[in-house]
Amino acid sequence: MSLNVTAASVFVALFGLVTLLGFVAARWRKADLNLLHEWGLGGRRFGTVVTWFLLGGDLYTAYTFIAVPALVYGAGAMGFFAVPYTILIYPILYLIFPRLWKIAHERGHVTAADYVRERFDSRFLALAVALTGIVATMPYIALQLVGMEVVIGALGFPAGGLTGHLPLIIAFIVLAAFTYTSGLRAPALIAVVKDMLIFVTIFAAIVIIPAKLGGYGAIFASVPQEKLTLTPPSGDSLGSYSAYITLALGSALALFLYPHSMTGILSASSGKVIRRNAAALSAYSFVLGLIALLGYMAIAAGVGNNPLYAAGFAQHGANFAVPALFLDSFSSWFVGVAFAAIAIGALVPAAIMSIACANLFTRNLYKEFWKPDCTEAEETRMAKIVSLVVKIGAVVFILAIPQAYAIQLQLLGGIWIIQLLPPILLGLFTRGFNAHALLLGWAAGTAIGTYMAATRGFVSSIYPLEILGVTLPGYAALYSVLVNLLVAVALSPVLDRLARRGAGSATR
Amino acid sequence: MTGKQMKRSLARYWPRFLLVIPFLLVAFVPFYNRVEPTLGDVPFFYWFQLAAILIGAVVVLIVYLLEMWVTRTTSRAHADLDSSGTPGDIL
Repeated sequence: MSLNVTAASVFVALFGLVTLLGFVAARWRKADLNLLHEWGLGGRRFGTVVTWFLLGGDLYTAYTFIAVPALVYGAGAMGFFAVPYTILIYPILYLIFPRLWKIAHERGHVTAADYVRERFDSRFLALAVALTGIVATMPYIALQLVGMEVVIGALGFPAGGLTGHLPLIIAFIVLAAFTYTSGLRAPALIAVVKDMLIFVTIFAAIVIIPAKLGGYGAIFASVPQEKLTLTPPSGDSLGSYSAYITLALGSALALFLYPHSMTGILSASSGKVIRRNAAALSAYSFVLGLIALLGYMAIAAGVGNNPLYAAGFAQHGANFAVPALFLDSFSSWFVGVAFAAIAIGALVPAAIMSIACANLFTRNLYKEFWKPDCTEAEETRMAKIVSLVVKIGAVVFILAIPQAYAIQLQLLGGIWIIQLLPPILLGLFTRGFNAHALLLGWAAGTAIGTYMAATRGFVSSIYPLEILGVTLPGYAALYSVLVNLLVAVALSPVLDRLARRGAGSATR
Repeated sequence: MTGKQMKRSLARYWPRFLLVIPFLLVAFVPFYNRVEPTLGDVPFFYWFQLAAILIGAVVVLIVYLLEMWVTRTTSRAHADLDSSGTPGDIL
């Protein structure tokens, strides 16, 4: 594939614009960026509109735009689970997170682990929360790079070797530099551009592409019958049905526990802003539903059999379906716009994820266990440096390790992050949970979830659970967090009583 | 929680029970795992779930508006629901 000059020029121009914005952002709503809540939470001053762009840019990542249609392209209806997933996240956001925001605002918490540390007075439970967050987010950042690499490759930049990775490395140096200077303000401002590009691209796609392919009827007619709906279960198994809904529910419960979601939520200026966004963010869900359908459009356009794209599919697999579809359907300059939307769509979440990891490391590891008496300026400098280290780590990860490992780790990340549900949720709405019981629950859930994924060779997170002779294939994250919850509920009163006995007659 | 507190919470937060609607819409997979009836050539499986996104958004919006209304009209309403808001909240 030779370099597509028009598309590449538009792409580079838009990328340059965004870079500029990233540095200008330091002066937006000017404040002392040597304070961690200013650098890492944008001063908690984002209103409804900015939060809408920020959370939209944060949650609907470049990888989502590539991987969801790729899944629909390859697996059909099962890939559409992303839609019920995005339906379920907003009631959860509405019910749980304004309360967490309020407490975090009053007590000056920057991370979820800060909150758990104070709520349960347990530095080790907070450590578990912080480590889980960091470990689950790292492969997620790496996957943003995959999204970027796919579109850079599709533009026709020479692949392979150091020169092949050069555009990616440059993009990440740019990202690291503006995140370092501007903190969360940079992705917030860039998210506005990114989202507008995405909306323009998707609306063009759902109008232009079906018109070319002979309408939606022709598109769905070209999809093999067995892919069009879920295979109805047979025998003693709930088959695809339980898999579909547990994937949706488990992913929805996990989403806001990710550090980058938490950072986006805590940077809002009020609980009201979060509630309003629980309704308004559905606009992105709808767009995601349309993006999922691009997978079928790629089938109808026959890009998989087109020799022009054979090299791309060979290198990136089904992830190449959407870039190939755009190359096939749009004129060159618009391909540049669409690909820039995807690449910038990788920058925004990658920036927020690295800031979130940096906040966790600094507050809950460095300050907690290392330097309890560090000043606010030292704390912020540490966070800035960690945000760089995290990104370098992600680049090395993606260049040195096969892509399949990043995908498997991200799959495990979902199982690990959901284990934070009991400490965070139970702390918000109930009293009297024992920190040690929650810690044991976390350990049990993490171990069992990892074991379930291991039995599937780490390629699938669907575990065939057997209850009374009926098989319930379902998302391992959901099953394992139930174990976590049971352990926490069962052990809490026991450990409380032991603690009281241990304290003897001492007053508590 | 005492009975009195429970009553007070219920009086203020009852609209939140509506949030079960989006869950019910998608919970029963066999209901929407079908091709017919199609809508403009789009199979039911797809248009139903896209429509469910819109219904979910409307439900959350209604809950938000109802809660604002309940807070304003309840004499016992605490300011904490919106105390954090500032005039610059929109941006």
